[in-house]
Amino acid sequence: MTGMKWTTKNLALCAVLTALALGLSTLENLFPVSLVVPLPGVKLGLTNIVTVFALYELGAVPALVILFARCGLGSLFAGNVSALLFSMLGGLCAMLVMIGLKHCRKLSIYGVSIGGAAAHNIGQMAAAIITLGNTMVLGYLPFLLAVSLLTGTLTGFVAALLFRAMAHVTLSH
Amino acid sequence: MSTNPSRPELKWNRYDVIVAALVALLAVAVALWFYLPKVRSGETTVVISAGGQETERVRLSDFSGTTVTCNGYTLQIDADGDGVWVSHSDCPTQDCVHTGHITRAGQSIVCLPAQIIIHLEGAANDGPDVIVG
Amino acid sequence: MKRWICLLLAAVLALSLTACGAPKTEALDIFAMDTYMSLVAVGDGAFDVLQRSSNEINTLEQKLSRTIATSDVAQLNANGSTVLDEGTAELLRRALRYSEETGGAFDVTIAPLVELWGITTDHPRVPAREEIDALLPLVGTEHVHAAGTEASLDEGCAIDLGGIAKGYASDCVAALFAASGITGGFASLGGNVYVHGDTADGQPWKVAIQDPQKTDAFACTLHLSDAFVVTSGGYQRNFTGPDGTVYQHIIDPATGYPAVSDLLSVSVITYGAADGQGTRADAYSTALYVMGEEAAVDFWRARQASFDMVLVTEDGRVLYTPGLKDCFDETEGSGYVYQPLAA
Repeated sequence: MTGMKWTTKNLALCAVLTALALGLSTLENLFPVSLVVPLPGVKLGLTNIVTVFALYELGAVPALVILFARCGLGSLFAGNVSALLFSMLGGLCAMLVMIGLKHCRKLSIYGVSIGGAAAHNIGQMAAAIITLGNTMVLGYLPFLLAVSLLTGTLTGFVAALLFRAMAHVTLSH
Repeated sequence: MSTNPSRPELKWNRYDVIVAALVALLAVAVALWFYLPKVRSGETTVVISAGGQETERVRLSDFSGTTVTCNGYTLQIDADGDGVWVSHSDCPTQDCVHTGHITRAGQSIVCLPAQIIIHLEGAANDGPDVIVG
Repeated sequence: MKRWICLLLAAVLALSLTACGAPKTEALDIFAMDTYMSLVAVGDGAFDVLQRSSNEINTLEQKLSRTIATSDVAQLNANGSTVLDEGTAELLRRALRYSEETGGAFDVTIAPLVELWGITTDHPRVPAREEIDALLPLVGTEHVHAAGTEASLDEGCAIDLGGIAKGYASDCVAALFAASGITGGFASLGGNVYVHGDTADGQPWKVAIQDPQKTDAFACTLHLSDAFVVTSGGYQRNFTGPDGTVYQHIIDPATGYPAVSDLLSVSVITYGAADGQGTRADAYSTALYVMGEEAAVDFWRARQASFDMVLVTEDGRVLYTPGLKDCFDETEGSGYVYQPLAA
């Protein structure tokens, strides 16, 4: 975890994970949170699956690199800058919280994911407050946090499946 | 590094529930803070907004006056514990000064040129919801 | 494990309940159409419908303001003819209809005189008799020619829809409110109020009519739902001439001078969110104020059932139509004598 070497293999791995995250962010567009919470730009946070996975499997630095690449490319594809702010703040908050929670050895993948999902939505809320210049939107935060309990559990479940399937595989060298 | 030591626990445990409970608690806390009526214990509150932004919210009994500048005009707002009035304004219409004292919840002083609104808010009052005229 | 999940779900459920429990009241204050407007909505989509109402009002102002050079009205006044937006054309047709109905007491062609007096500006003045007489022939609906969306004016004439623009805006807000999921709300657009549905407590809205003589008091209070209340009065905006005479802002199209009325204020109440009742109340309130007590009462008698009104007279009486009987609260200690009108 401390020293992933930037070998060609690991670089390729990061690229694959970035692509996966982009795929997931396209997938989550199919479930627009905006139906429940009328804020443009708010996402479910399925891409956290990749963040969780990368965090444990490759370490904090590569996970951050993947996050930046995903946010940058994602907003490039979507063609708007405010989406970048939403995904960036959401992603970064989730990442920081998960790095912290990961040190709490007693927590399983579920606890870490739920913490990350909640942080993700708090980050997006911050982005909404910045872009709209209006703290009224805070009223939606309870809904978003409730949603994050579900998405966090889901993310943890999928990540657990992944780790189980790869119990005997070591990806990074 | 054959079995990656950093791999996480994969089963739910009570510590995860603590995290989930904390998130739920935070949600409830935000909901309560946001949706519960703001502290309105029957006290009349002075609310001043300039250019569409609330700039001040003080209990009438604690309010001793202030100066607000917006849109290039400055209003001197005075108070005596029972009421609020605009004592001086450099706006062209002077409507805000002419409005005089307001003392009851629901009343407001509006300065159109300066886009400043001084509004008295109160809790359960028998006053009207809206004033026309 | 299962136990924990149940607990979690219970927490989520409880959470969503707390958030949905009380209907949310949203409020929005805006400055538009040369006045201060206050919008309030209760219930689902409240914030959203207020945003849309605010946008709608701003859009209308861009079309209807006499002082915004690109507006339909300014274009018509500047060029003598123009093609109007569908909505503006409809409003102009209605304005002309109300002029006829009120015998010219409400007239949109008053614009040249409004301009002369500088009524809407920061520097009003008292013009000379000759100046007024020179412009009086330009006032009258016969100078406006409207067909479809095309409109033209006779040489030197101008129109000002300011007298009904706020009423029209309240109609548009009423339509937005009606189409939304809110359970209640009101729009107070500078003397024009529309109340929709009920308050958060499930009661009709309490609409107080300003006491024209005391800024701190109300002439009366009405309990209303789905109704428009529009008040016109000389006390709302006025200026003092060099000789100390107080001139108020409503100009009598017949004399070219600010109306001299035996009424201090007129409030017209109309019902139903559809078919332009807000615009109608706005036009009527101005016209009835200009007409004075006797003509106003006659006007109402001729069309009873279709609207209600409250007149505050110079000699301290508050007259109200019998339709308001059940929703009318006198203000105790106001000093006014309250008299219901006979049908």
